[in-house]
Amino acid sequence: MWLFLLVPAAIEIGLVFWPALNSFYLSLTKWNGLGAPEQVGLDNYRDLFSDDVFREALGNNVIWAVGFGGLSVAGGLALAVALNKPRRGVGIYRSAIYLPMVFSLAVTGLFWRVQYQPDGTVNTLLGAVGLESLERQWLADPKTALYAVLVAAVWRQVGYVMVLYLAGLKGTDPSLDDASAVDGAGPWQRFWYVTWPQLRGVNTVVFAVTVIDSLRTFDIVWAMTQGGPYHSSELLSTYMFQQGFTFLNLGYASAVAVVIFALAILFIITYLVRTLKEEVA
Amino acid sequence: MVHSELSRRTFLTGIGLAGVGGLGAALLGGCATSSSDSGGGSSATLTLQSSLSDPSPKAALTKVVDGYTKTKVTLNTIAIETFRAQLPTYLNSATPPDVLTWYAGSVARDYASKGFLLDVSDLWTGSGACAGFSPALKELSTGGDGKQIFIPTNYYWWGVFYRKSAFQEWGVQPATTWDEFIALCKALKAKGVAPISMGTGSTPWVASGWFDYLNLRVNGAQFHRDLLAGKHSFDGPEVKAVMEHYRELLPYIDPKGRSYSWQDAVTPLASKKAGMYLIGAFITQSVPKDVVDDIDFFRVPIIDPNVPVAEEAPTDGYFASAKSKNVDGAKELLSYLASAPAQELFIKESASSNLPTSPQVSTTGFSPLVQKGIKLLNESAAITQFFNRDSSDALQSTADTALTKFLDSPGDVNSILTSWQSAAQKVLTS
Repeated sequence: MWLFLLVPAAIEIGLVFWPALNSFYLSLTKWNGLGAPEQVGLDNYRDLFSDDVFREALGNNVIWAVGFGGLSVAGGLALAVALNKPRRGVGIYRSAIYLPMVFSLAVTGLFWRVQYQPDGTVNTLLGAVGLESLERQWLADPKTALYAVLVAAVWRQVGYVMVLYLAGLKGTDPSLDDASAVDGAGPWQRFWYVTWPQLRGVNTVVFAVTVIDSLRTFDIVWAMTQGGPYHSSELLSTYMFQQGFTFLNLGYASAVAVVIFALAILFIITYLVRTLKEEVA
Repeated sequence: MVHSELSRRTFLTGIGLAGVGGLGAALLGGCATSSSDSGGGSSATLTLQSSLSDPSPKAALTKVVDGYTKTKVTLNTIAIETFRAQLPTYLNSATPPDVLTWYAGSVARDYASKGFLLDVSDLWTGSGACAGFSPALKELSTGGDGKQIFIPTNYYWWGVFYRKSAFQEWGVQPATTWDEFIALCKALKAKGVAPISMGTGSTPWVASGWFDYLNLRVNGAQFHRDLLAGKHSFDGPEVKAVMEHYRELLPYIDPKGRSYSWQDAVTPLASKKAGMYLIGAFITQSVPKDVVDDIDFFRVPIIDPNVPVAEEAPTDGYFASAKSKNVDGAKELLSYLASAPAQELFIKESASSNLPTSPQVSTTGFSPLVQKGIKLLNESAAITQFFNRDSSDALQSTADTALTKFLDSPGDVNSILTSWQSAAQKVLTS
């Protein structure tokens, strides 16, 4: 029996842990991919924190995690609750909202890039309702570029979170809801005190998925702005890519990767520890 | 009960760690996988990695490659902005493509100095395919160690392109001096036309076109080369003088161009919503067919008559990877691509206005626009390539950041130039 475990373990170690550990090592070197990496100690990390672009990308990642996580969870939950009760045509709505999820992030990015063009749908709609003053070059304006990409990413993610919560809501006990309704609890009270506590398991999954998705966001930013204009929509992942594959600073890029890894592990472990404590208590 | 809690905890922790592990693998796996999927250079087939992703040049190269029968060639066309970003990775991978499209000049020299490029000196001597090419082209294709590492197959000129019929309708004339040019911009703006179109959205390098030309007109070709080689500073007085002139243009540049690619920005010009576009002769491949004959250009106006006239004539072609598994096959393919019939076929099919590098291709049958382009280059005292080609792709990205920022906030020019210089310094010393 242990023998059977060895095979997946070997694959996991060879394909996941070894490359991961390797990048920790690379982050302590200066390497352009050719020849032997040159040991530089913690220089890459020192450079990182005096690098304006890195700091901007880190800040953008925080905005991204909060915005992407908050909006897609709030939106997905609201939609799931609204579309949970079976009624005529609800399946069409659910499928329609889930539909963007089947497109790759790159396609989503291209689709939204067209909407955001100076004469695209977004500006045309704003003009049609008399809000010409709000019209702008969404992706070319450093003040709006990141948020414009964020909206596109949430548009896609919200259906996914909705499906997760719909599954969670199916697992709740309807008799509890009915009983509390008989006891005179309002809809908000029923949701907050009866339904929400039963969704704890789903919440953990949604949180993990959202944090990981937000930290690994790359393709949609790359497809829409490539981190521009002048790094204003740069995320850690796009900056890592640029450093690693355009400038061939593989050591420096690995240092960025390690920072992303540390952030992910920090969030996930903190959250898991908290959830598990609550469960035990 | 305790048991089930414990197993639940282990399970959840497991999920969390697996998730994080997967994330790490996704992030770092990029290093491992992207090097293997771009290659494919077995000795039987040759891989030609092409950045010619616009429809007509892509179709043209496909035709040219189809005409090659000696070895089976797999043509891999990559969207050019992706190609640009990933080219170092292609070259650096364990099994790189055998032959790649790219640019002559410092940019190729830069890759050669890293040991990425195949020495193709033998194609430049004796009965080699490039032996008859001009000495200037040979010099342009020579690496720092004196060996040839590039096969140029065509080049083009830059100019201020416009529609003849539009200029007639508006009653304006091409400009030859800076003052005339500014007056022309003013006149166009007064007619409700965007004077200058420039697509710097997904192709921010286009902003370097005006930078390069103003630099050539104000400081001359030698300064341009020295600046890009790191011998002058981007926050020095010479570059500041360039930016002064650039700033004069800003009110006349179509602001919508900041969201456009260079191709998108051709549309306003073709539909007479914009007046002029400083761009390479490749513009003709993006102009609707019925408009092509209406397209004309003029030389970027002279600013200082004492500075010898210089023009940019970027040279395109191919280089081969030093790690190619089939060196002889790669060289034979390069010889074919450099041959007069292949050059002629490519230029004819691509609908661009590129000029052949082979002296054996007769240009007499080319369109009047192309004849005018040849004349423009012949009348120039010096020829340069372009910002990235006279430096490196890495230095280009510092220019993109600085210049697009300048377009948005010209008031911050001094701080922009200071950070440009420090970014350039980092690239030049790395």
